[in-house]
Amino acid sequence: MKYGALVFLSAFLALAASWGGLILAPQIQVGRGQQETNAVNSAELYPQARPGLARQGLSVYRANGCADCHTQQVRQTGSQCDVVLVDAGTNAEALAEALMKANVGISKASAAGLAVGLPKPILRRVPANLAKSTVSAIQSVGAKGKVEIVALGPDIARSWGPRRNVAADYLFDDPVLLGSQRIGPDLANVGLRLPDPTWHLRHLYEPRSEVKGSLMPPYRFLFERRKTGPHPSSEALQLSGKLAPPAGWEIVPRPEALALVAYLRSLRSDTPLFEAPMSSSAPAQTNAPAR
Amino acid sequence: MNSDPVQDILTAGDSREPQSRSIAVPIWLIVLMVLLLYWGAVYFDQNGGWFSAKVYSPYRSLQEVESFQFRAGAGDVFELGRMVYNKPTCVACHQASGQGNPGQFPPLAASEWVNEPEPGRMIRLVLNGLQGPITVKGQSFNNSMVAWNMLSDQEIAAVITYVRQNKEWGNNAPAVTPAQVKSVREKIVKAHPAPFNPDELMKISPAE
Repeated sequence: MKYGALVFLSAFLALAASWGGLILAPQIQVGRGQQETNAVNSAELYPQARPGLARQGLSVYRANGCADCHTQQVRQTGSQCDVVLVDAGTNAEALAEALMKANVGISKASAAGLAVGLPKPILRRVPANLAKSTVSAIQSVGAKGKVEIVALGPDIARSWGPRRNVAADYLFDDPVLLGSQRIGPDLANVGLRLPDPTWHLRHLYEPRSEVKGSLMPPYRFLFERRKTGPHPSSEALQLSGKLAPPAGWEIVPRPEALALVAYLRSLRSDTPLFEAPMSSSAPAQTNAPAR
Repeated sequence: MNSDPVQDILTAGDSREPQSRSIAVPIWLIVLMVLLLYWGAVYFDQNGGWFSAKVYSPYRSLQEVESFQFRAGAGDVFELGRMVYNKPTCVACHQASGQGNPGQFPPLAASEWVNEPEPGRMIRLVLNGLQGPITVKGQSFNNSMVAWNMLSDQEIAAVITYVRQNKEWGNNAPAVTPAQVKSVREKIVKAHPAPFNPDELMKISPAE
């Protein structure tokens, strides 16, 4: 082999380049992510580790291949701002003048009606810088305004989440179960959308009883069908119609089902972060399970 | 004699091993590659965020992410105070609700110490901390408070204003200006570097 060294070196460089790009660079970029006090306008650390049962639920989620049909990443195509006038102050004329000077397309005639029906949005879907300058113009005349950030994108429109997901959201996921196919809906904020544990249990037992036309297979092996003893279980499913077990029997979730539901309820990423700004009018939240 | 066809081919003509020759890369290909490289670099510069861990699409640069941060503006002292309070500074002991911790840390909500018309005592105890028994809303506490003199005059004025004017906590006392904090700081920086004792504070006229 005349060019052995050259072939070896090229193969090494090719592999080293992809290792550097796919492993080393992301590691340098976000690998040292730590729990930071970066929830905007709050003293909360973000993210919070999951409680034990939810952590076990992650392995149930993984073992049952939930990630084959569900993603856990909300995407966003853009961000814009609304400016809301909270308090018109005492000098309506000065406010109208300041707004006209800020050049936000408010005429003197329409400015007269500004103080009616507060708080109300006076600018919709504008870039951040214009929103910022408008609010400081409003504040300069003693009135109060605030900015609401509007996240845009199909995922947001489906109400799968209030903002996009970022690396910090997955700090305590091991492994990170992003998923790649959306046969079912995205679950990044399912704990926020559906906080009711009994809903989740019924849905796991028979998805179509809760969501008409659902494609999801029933996970009945996560439940135990047993004779109602002298002390009926408080966790037994409340089923009606065809699904209801015969008298004297009850359907009780196994520990796996309870862990999975605890995990699902812990899935929420609605904390405003520096890297994922969202409207701070929503209270700062952690991804701890809804109480 | 029959000739061996393979041998014929091998011996026919040139017996040297075939060699690859080098052909010059056409100049247009080099130009195209340089142009692509240039376009790629410009595209990365505009959209890549320079590999910052704080920049995710749809944001293109750190400046753009920063433009979406609507924290307390310079004009809003109350909001700045809320930020300082939750930095975390005060919130660690006095809680986000201002209720403190019974038996350990006194409440700020509706506290007679907070709602004094003149802020002199409150500025002092925030600047230098507090040490010794204190009675707040009829309950006695004996603990020590950290000195917060590392905060700027503006921050201390804002956080005291936030506490004193927090209507949700039932407080309604006049605001504090950075100038007031500055004058108190100058007065006590040499004369009283240690944490104050509540009894000492009571002897000081709150207007000073």
